[in-house]
Amino acid sequence: MINIKLNVNGKDYDLEIEEDLRLIDLLRDRLGFTGTKEGCGEGECGACTVILEGKTVNSCLLLAIQAHGKEITTIEGIGKEDDLHPIQESFLENGAVQCGYCIPGMVLSAKALLDKNKNPTRKDIREAISGNLCRCTGYEKIVDSIEKASKILQQRGSESHEQL
Amino acid sequence: MGVTRVLKAYSIEEILDFMEKYGEKVELLAGGTDLLVDIRAGKNKGSVIIDISDVKEMKKIEIGEDDIVLGALTTFTDIAENDYLKENVTGLWKAAKSVGSPQIRNMGTVGGNICNGSPAADIVPPLLVLDAKLNIKSRSKQRKIKLKEFYMENGSRNLRSDELLYSISFTKSRDKNIRIGFEKLGLRNALAISRISCSVYAIIGENNRIENIRIASGALGKYPLREYALEKFLKDKNLNDGLIEEAAEIFSHEVKQRLSGRSSCPYKKEAVKGIFKKAISFEGE
Repeated sequence: MINIKLNVNGKDYDLEIEEDLRLIDLLRDRLGFTGTKEGCGEGECGACTVILEGKTVNSCLLLAIQAHGKEITTIEGIGKEDDLHPIQESFLENGAVQCGYCIPGMVLSAKALLDKNKNPTRKDIREAISGNLCRCTGYEKIVDSIEKASKILQQRGSESHEQL
Repeated sequence: MGVTRVLKAYSIEEILDFMEKYGEKVELLAGGTDLLVDIRAGKNKGSVIIDISDVKEMKKIEIGEDDIVLGALTTFTDIAENDYLKENVTGLWKAAKSVGSPQIRNMGTVGGNICNGSPAADIVPPLLVLDAKLNIKSRSKQRKIKLKEFYMENGSRNLRSDELLYSISFTKSRDKNIRIGFEKLGLRNALAISRISCSVYAIIGENNRIENIRIASGALGKYPLREYALEKFLKDKNLNDGLIEEAAEIFSHEVKQRLSGRSSCPYKKEAVKGIFKKAISFEGE
């Protein structure tokens, strides 16, 4: 057993864990962040995507100990059921969700993109979600949703700027 | 093999201490994109995992006066986001950008790509044509070897169990006539493991004369290879479409002999022509 400290969705945790525990298992089984899904377990599908220190990673390919001292954002840290993030709202409004299994990873990849590129092209969006497989939607509506979310975020950004 | 211990190192010194202490039992965890899959399948070669992913001194891109140094823990994203490399070492940049998905590029490291020794390692062909050197350290000594001497004929690597690859360096070139290309063929863009990759470094002088050329391939042998026969054929000739066609045929013949008897041979001997032609036309530069 080994001790690690990490911050998930803004909250600090100090935990004793098995040494070879994967990050995905820590998030799901120990901390209850079950929005993080396991698909392939080999880094191909992206269902387990989380944001680690501002960058997307496959949480099935990290040992939990690698997250020691770091900040992680899971889908639970993006929005709440009654207070959705614009990306989530846009996914719902534009019919981008079917079975939903890939969506947490998809939203996190979109969030990481929009955090550094406020006005992405459709090509940028496709590139950003290229590590997230979706077997239902055919991706078009997902790309539409992220594009629309970027517009909403830009608009809100400029509105809040005006208020200042 | 199961995992008995996981230790975290924060400096090169700490890694070397652990390597000396645990010897052959050690397996280094850098990006983890291959190792975690191995651990899950019980196929990890060492039972003591040393997590080196937070060793900051091995995460750097140094553009020096004479040399460019990549720390072994430099990620593919680090390379893909580096404007100097994009402008001046385009083939290397293209290879880094072609790796896996954004997630894999954020995790995977140059050192891991080299040390795992996969025949399809994307970053190796461009480093081969740059004639990169590997900087290796153990408790008892430090040495520098050429990347092309790293992969051994018997399938092993020129690296002892107490040795650490801590950085990769190559000469910074100021010659304006240098072109560095890279092209790969995968099954789909994201996440595709290269079916074939090819990198070309060339100095093209007056009248398109090829003053110097180095060519390397991935996934056409047991490990990434320099294509010496092809280099010899092209050197001192004038680069034009006819010559490229001829060279592509020679490459194809070479691949046919090398992969003879393998099921992938009929496909690869044809496909290599197109990949080579694209690599030597330096598209995207």
